[in-house]
Amino acid sequence: MARHQPLAIFAMPKRSKPTQLSRREFLAATSAALIGLGMKTDKPIAGEFVNESFQLGHMLRDRTPFPAPTKKEKFAIVIVGGGMAGLSAAWQLERRSFRDFVLLEMDKQPGGNSRWGENDITAYPWAAHYVPVPNAKATLVRELFEEFGALKNGKWEERYLCFTPQERLFIHGRWQDGIEPAVGLTDRDREQFKRFDDLMQRFRASNNFTIPTQLGMDITQKPDIAALDRVSIAEWLQQQKLDSPYLRWYVDYACRDDYGAPASATSAWAGAHYYASREHEEKGPLTWPEGNGWIARRLIKKLDSYIRRNALVHRITKDKNRYRILAGDTEFTADSVIFAAPTFLAPYLIEGMPPALTKDLVYSPWLTANLTLDRLPREIGGTETAWDNVIYNSPSLGYIVANHQSIRQHEDRSVWTYYWALAERSPLESRRFLLEKDWNYWKEAILTDLARIHPDIRDCVSRLDIMRMGHAMIRPSVGFMFSDSRRALTRPHAGLERLFFANSDLSGISIFEEAQYRGVTAAQQALAIISGSQESTAPTA
Amino acid sequence: MPALLFISILLIAACGLIYELIAGALASYLLGDSITQFSTIIGSYLFAMGIGSWLSRYISRGLVTQFIWIELMVAIFGGFSSSILFLTFAYTQGFRIILYFIVIAIGMLVGLEIPLLMRILKDRFEFRDVVAHVLTFDYLGALGASLLFPIVLVPQLGLVRSAVLFGIVNAAVALWGTFLFKDQLRSPQPLRVACLLVLTLLCGGMAGAKHVIAAADDSLYADEVIFAKDTRYQRIVLTRWRDDTRLFLNSHLQFSSRDEYRYHEALVHPGLAANSSARRVLVLGGGDGLAVREILKYPNIESITLVDLDRQMTDMFRSNDVLTKLNGGSLASPKLHVITADAFPWLEQSTDMFDFAIVDFPDPTNYSLGKLYTTAFYRLLAKHISANGMIVVQSTSPMFARQSYWTIVETLKQAGLQTFPYHTYVPSFGEWGFVLANAKGATYSPPRQLPKDLRFLTVSAIPELFEFPADMQPVAAEANRLNDQNLVRHYDREWRDISH
Repeated sequence: MARHQPLAIFAMPKRSKPTQLSRREFLAATSAALIGLGMKTDKPIAGEFVNESFQLGHMLRDRTPFPAPTKKEKFAIVIVGGGMAGLSAAWQLERRSFRDFVLLEMDKQPGGNSRWGENDITAYPWAAHYVPVPNAKATLVRELFEEFGALKNGKWEERYLCFTPQERLFIHGRWQDGIEPAVGLTDRDREQFKRFDDLMQRFRASNNFTIPTQLGMDITQKPDIAALDRVSIAEWLQQQKLDSPYLRWYVDYACRDDYGAPASATSAWAGAHYYASREHEEKGPLTWPEGNGWIARRLIKKLDSYIRRNALVHRITKDKNRYRILAGDTEFTADSVIFAAPTFLAPYLIEGMPPALTKDLVYSPWLTANLTLDRLPREIGGTETAWDNVIYNSPSLGYIVANHQSIRQHEDRSVWTYYWALAERSPLESRRFLLEKDWNYWKEAILTDLARIHPDIRDCVSRLDIMRMGHAMIRPSVGFMFSDSRRALTRPHAGLERLFFANSDLSGISIFEEAQYRGVTAAQQALAIISGSQESTAPTA
Repeated sequence: MPALLFISILLIAACGLIYELIAGALASYLLGDSITQFSTIIGSYLFAMGIGSWLSRYISRGLVTQFIWIELMVAIFGGFSSSILFLTFAYTQGFRIILYFIVIAIGMLVGLEIPLLMRILKDRFEFRDVVAHVLTFDYLGALGASLLFPIVLVPQLGLVRSAVLFGIVNAAVALWGTFLFKDQLRSPQPLRVACLLVLTLLCGGMAGAKHVIAAADDSLYADEVIFAKDTRYQRIVLTRWRDDTRLFLNSHLQFSSRDEYRYHEALVHPGLAANSSARRVLVLGGGDGLAVREILKYPNIESITLVDLDRQMTDMFRSNDVLTKLNGGSLASPKLHVITADAFPWLEQSTDMFDFAIVDFPDPTNYSLGKLYTTAFYRLLAKHISANGMIVVQSTSPMFARQSYWTIVETLKQAGLQTFPYHTYVPSFGEWGFVLANAKGATYSPPRQLPKDLRFLTVSAIPELFEFPADMQPVAAEANRLNDQNLVRHYDREWRDISH
């Protein structure tokens, strides 16, 4: 069976409706358009807060006494934290055939911001959900993807590249392709988008904007580029006389999406980095149902024997040349520590940690939700659901369809991952607000936001789980990228020799590639020191 | 007493506004351009109300009787307005004329209502109270209707049933009026009988609304619909006109029984007849059993695996008399294994190997279907093909969708296959394209022998199918990939250009 649309000349029905919508679809769409709201139903929606970790964080902050250790273990290197940075450090040690180490993860499931969940429909991400297709310079990332079969003979596995349609934006009551606004723009708006693109093109050509960021920062910055870090991207747009509301939304969206910060609180250098750092050799990004959990899952499987789960590190002290790390019921001793947990925890854990080191760290609070849909909502205007679905002028970041990468032709059910960076107020206020409101409040807020684009969403959702993250990601605030305190974190400290920080916090940008770079770099530094001082555990490679 | 009277006014007013909204919504739906439709309909309706009000001066006697007759006429016109309009649109060319006729008729009748009512009531109450109360409830009714329409009526009942429901309300008010004003009526009995008749008619209309909706849908198709079913995956419609049976999936024509043999012979034989050692054949899509009918003409074929998404399709083509006559009962063949599955994941988990694979999916009209036309899909399929086996892909029209056709060819090439594009003429579709493909290094030459009972293909005609005239020759194309489905975009553009 095959073939073509009934309107083609040879098969033209005598009368054809001016639209391809079925009557029922039309009535649903018009009623929705006419009234602008869906019928409220009493369909129960289950759900809860999941993966809560701030209680543990508060225990550390409040210096809650922990029981004395009953066991002792000794390793050359102890990695604290099983997020992408910690896992990458372990990956690097293992690749160098170094085995005398352990990774301590406070949670029952490692992965950090790459954590994932799974139900009978699909796996789904809890936070990071994609990696832009790395270019030839991103050697570490390519190495990892080659190892896991995503890159073969220089070609990316087609099934891991985001399927068409990738992105869509709901703007002025309809969907458009892509996230860059294209509907309702005046010539002036278009001219500004063009000028913005040209500026970003020039920044790209400077080679100062790279992933990992450190590589480009090591290259001398022209004065106008270095100056970017001293203003917010919102101010910078103003200076450039770029005031199109569409452009400003677009840039603000990018800041909220990548940094959890509004454009007014994001360093212009970081804002420009979002656009100027990536040249794509292939249409991407790379994504999987469980998001970056796909990477975490493979790393965890490979490194499983080194990982200790439910091992909350509560104290790190140094006597003479050894570190003592207290985690759960065990006292670990180590020659070197790779501190890959979020860096703001360091003053609460590490004895002798200079407080100045972390004073400039600002974190964005986030909320993500996974919605289980027992049926798919009706689409307005017959468009197809994209992977990333964004609402213009919504405080949320929209939703990702977890089973978008399915090779099925037909899906009855789905899981949507909904993202919301609480960027409207200060991080402190937002964090308090985030913890204060109950599940029901957030559920209603999410459904109300989604009902703007899917009036029947409440009939579709059977479960809605929410993850609250008070310190979801480091924020590249104005001045942070080129601050002395950020740079200091990447260097050794008097009194804390052989302790290496390894979180993407050090980069000021919370993305997989930075976490990997920091983890691998810390592992190399630790190895260099250990092999220099300790013949017995010298790496064989 | 006044409370009940004023509720009647409120209901009448609501009815009046509902008919206007229904006409506006229906015209926007069927003709598009909702601003124009709503403006002109509201304008004509209000103007007609003015005519009605002016005409009211000529009614001088039997005010209540006249009022009740008017109510009944509104009930009939209004109640059946959307049914009439849907059917007019479906079966005649005069939709706009009927639309404005109905709008003006209802408008005039509604315009008569309020002046008459005021005159009926003027002797019972102070005139200033009459005006104040009648108009207050009139406007309240309008507010109620305007809220009810989008929130409850359209989503819950639809336009046809909503109109009928309010027709019933109008008729009920008329009946109620015969009791309310009985002291002003000389003989209420005949009026009451008329009211009951109209009520019965409208209740019948409510019950029959389903058929009106179905009849309006059928008008999409040129011929009589003999079967229509909404399955989980698609809407299946079969139409028949004399000896021509047609199958539509989601209103896309799949075949016409008059010339489907051309399509299916061209799909199957150029590839299958060329490989006399073939034993196992795979058919993806093709739940109509027509390709299977052609495959069964080869005694050397030992087994056929048919993978179709929709069980209802294969069931229908196995059991329906008209359809089994078409496919020769092929779906009941003992050589056939029917598998109800989504093709891509099925191929992924299957370890079966085949000597010939027929890919007969619907055209790539959307990104979900487009996945079945990607390098990833063809690469996976090629793993299931024996060393000298072949694949044939139905590939839309190289004439009307030239870019789409050559994109499919390029996609097969980028999946590492050799391609042999060909085409044929199928009257109900026009020029239609196919692509044969096999592994690099394998060979293909057109068959020198064909099964005996073919109606279209001949041995000498097959090589000609591989010749493309100037207007269908290859164009530069990029492969269709899961992450860059340019095929769906080309297809959409090319067929849209043709149909406009």
